[in-house]
Amino acid sequence: FMQHWGTVLTQNEKWVASLSQVALSVGGGVMVYYMIKQSGTTFRNAGLSGRDLCKRDNKRLIPESMGIISGTVFLMVMFLFAGVRFGQHLLSSDKPFPHELFGQLLAALLSISCMLLLGFVDDVLNLKWRYKLFLPTLASLPLLMSHYINHGSTHMSIPMFLWPYMRHCINIGKLYYVYMSLLAVFCTNAINIYAGINGLEVGQSIVIAISIAVFNCLEIPTYLGNIHHLSLCILMPFIATSVALFCHNKYPARVFVGDTFTYFAGMTFAVVGIIGHFSKTVMMFFLPQLLNFVYSIPQLFRLLPCPRHRLPQYNPSTDSLEFSRTTIRTRSLNRHTLLAVRILSSLRLLSAVYVASDPKFDHESTVTINNLTLINLVLYWCGPLHESVLTWMLLFLQVLCTGLAFFIRYSVANYIFSDKPPN
Amino acid sequence: SSMSSNKLLAVFPLTIPLFLVNHLPHDDDVVSIRSQVIMIIALSTIAYFSTDWLIPKITPFLLRANLFGYDINKKGSKEGEKKIPESLGIVPAFVFIVLIILCQSFFYENNQKLVEYNAGLMSICFIVLLGFVDDVLDLPWRYKVILPLIASFPLLTVYANVQGITWIAIPKPLHWLLHESVNLWVFYYVYMSLLSVFCTNSINIFAGINGLEAGQSFLMAVSVVIHNLLQLCFGPEELRGNHLFSVLLMIPFIATTLALLNHNWYPSRVFVGDTYTMFAGMIFAVVGILGHFSKTLILFFIPQILNFLYSIPQLFSLFGYSCPRHRLPSLNVKTRNLMPTDDLNLVNLFLRVFGPTTERSLCLRLLSFQSICCIGALILRYTLAHVFYDSL
Repeated sequence: FMQHWGTVLTQNEKWVASLSQVALSVGGGVMVYYMIKQSGTTFRNAGLSGRDLCKRDNKRLIPESMGIISGTVFLMVMFLFAGVRFGQHLLSSDKPFPHELFGQLLAALLSISCMLLLGFVDDVLNLKWRYKLFLPTLASLPLLMSHYINHGSTHMSIPMFLWPYMRHCINIGKLYYVYMSLLAVFCTNAINIYAGINGLEVGQSIVIAISIAVFNCLEIPTYLGNIHHLSLCILMPFIATSVALFCHNKYPARVFVGDTFTYFAGMTFAVVGIIGHFSKTVMMFFLPQLLNFVYSIPQLFRLLPCPRHRLPQYNPSTDSLEFSRTTIRTRSLNRHTLLAVRILSSLRLLSAVYVASDPKFDHESTVTINNLTLINLVLYWCGPLHESVLTWMLLFLQVLCTGLAFFIRYSVANYIFSDKPPN
Repeated sequence: SSMSSNKLLAVFPLTIPLFLVNHLPHDDDVVSIRSQVIMIIALSTIAYFSTDWLIPKITPFLLRANLFGYDINKKGSKEGEKKIPESLGIVPAFVFIVLIILCQSFFYENNQKLVEYNAGLMSICFIVLLGFVDDVLDLPWRYKVILPLIASFPLLTVYANVQGITWIAIPKPLHWLLHESVNLWVFYYVYMSLLSVFCTNSINIFAGINGLEAGQSFLMAVSVVIHNLLQLCFGPEELRGNHLFSVLLMIPFIATTLALLNHNWYPSRVFVGDTYTMFAGMIFAVVGILGHFSKTLILFFIPQILNFLYSIPQLFSLFGYSCPRHRLPSLNVKTRNLMPTDDLNLVNLFLRVFGPTTERSLCLRLLSFQSICCIGALILRYTLAHVFYDSL
């Protein structure tokens, strides 16, 4: 009987693991929902709270950093899953124990838990912004070390149309490790800056996670199927706990997720992309975040002034959000920047209002532009919107971009890359 | 001069392991055991200086975030009014984790040991997270019992898949009752997870005096290293991997703890917080479980066990005892001595038995008791071992 059960398990290992992971994830999600409900006062008393600037009542304290709850429950579910998935090998001793797969899972979980720890420390201690670039690099170290020790490949494949000019894939050596940590830094910070309205951070993460999960399901029958299945099992509890968090964070938000959650989400995506060798596909799912980052570059790199908050402006009389603005003296901008502003505003990518003699700025000439975020741009195009309408619109945009990414990946990619790319 | 005498007290226990390092085997393998140990000592020196440098840098952030406490043992005097930053355990934990992540590549060629190393690190990282969250949010005690249980799961999974031994050796005098060894099946795993819960919480409750938590962990870690080095030098060859694994985790832990003690020893400029006590407890559980010397480890924990047993009536509110938030002695401002209260723990017991004294000498008395117990445990382990068992 044991032998028969053993062979059945070997064939259906993945199914048993997947089904148990679905059950564990649902349990985890329910747990997160109730834990968040009960812990609002604890967080407020500990000083972890913020104010919702987009509401009429912007003095009320809302508990912050609730991402720690969803992150901790995620880790707990993953620990139980590791026992189920790899404990099956005790019963069926046909195949050798998959040390490498288990090692990769451990490295992935280690990176995610380090990021969760560092993210929570950042939320509590309010470290300076330059640490936001350094902390994800530190947290990605376990992945880098695991890759290095397992003699992982540092090759990147070249698109087919460049094949006459170069080799089919180039070995970028140590730069591959730089690429991996930059991926972690980018994913965490891109989600972090594409934020500010209720439910946006969690919502975009859920959409991206579901997209990657669907991609994993499509790729399980291929030769890298084991690792895609592992990535799917990492994303399942992430989706469940994030949905529970979204229930409390969507408009009108009862809790805020904090940097803890955006770090945790970004790192999870970077991690599955790296261990599954599909980081370029993950980047395709990050299209709105990429667009937001590129659009924000002038303000982030101080080519234009960057205020503390670039959130949309709340209008109490219409109960809707309008794009927030920054006023700049034209004298302080060099002519290249002024030209760029003019071009962008004629392309309707920027709202620029010129005032020849502004009384608030010593009667100098000023230009008032919208703060450079995708959220403000959408408000510029669509006019003032209610906060929940805006959030759902942006999430719908995220879904559209996902569809586009799938289209590119599965049709066009076959013309660019010869086979499933190794990265 | 009191600083240098404190430092001398810390250096003295380290001489024994250093003497043993000289006798480590150095003729086998490509990277011999002795050179690996010397390498980890060198790297741990960097960890010591990094932790020592980082602690004052983090302190202002902790004070701003309201993570501070008042020194209850100085209540009534001027020092009792000062805000002391709490949860500084995050600094040695952070430096330790970074060091271990970076170093694993130097020490392990094959996947099997690396997987164990990573699983241990995973459990430690989760516990540090839990400890810091507890320091910030003040979690109820049930979390402190359940979460170390869950944190031990990676250890159990790795143990099941890599070694899977659930047999324990029975002492010779009991061979007539049970056999030579008994298979505990699933109860071995229950025992391992209970060990994690016990180690993390027992250090947590044997606390409250400046430098006690870090001091006891330091002494226990040195004892563990001595045991490991003795086994590496004179023990059977097949067990060497386990003890080397333990040494490579304990030495960075000792280095970062020493740096913390620099700031935490009487009079404390910083408090270690639950972050440190849970971090320390988990490291001991990890090396004990994956290094296969959990019974010896328990011997080193005798003071903590005694403290726990003595505290049971208060912890579980039995026999009409209540469990207050702090079970610490009170300060007599005039004589600057600590006076015992009615609380049931070793700290107050020592004050009742040996008389009131200053905080510093009370801590030294308790740490001497810890040292005596650790030395006694080592003697017990090595002399009586062949009375009870066949091998060393």
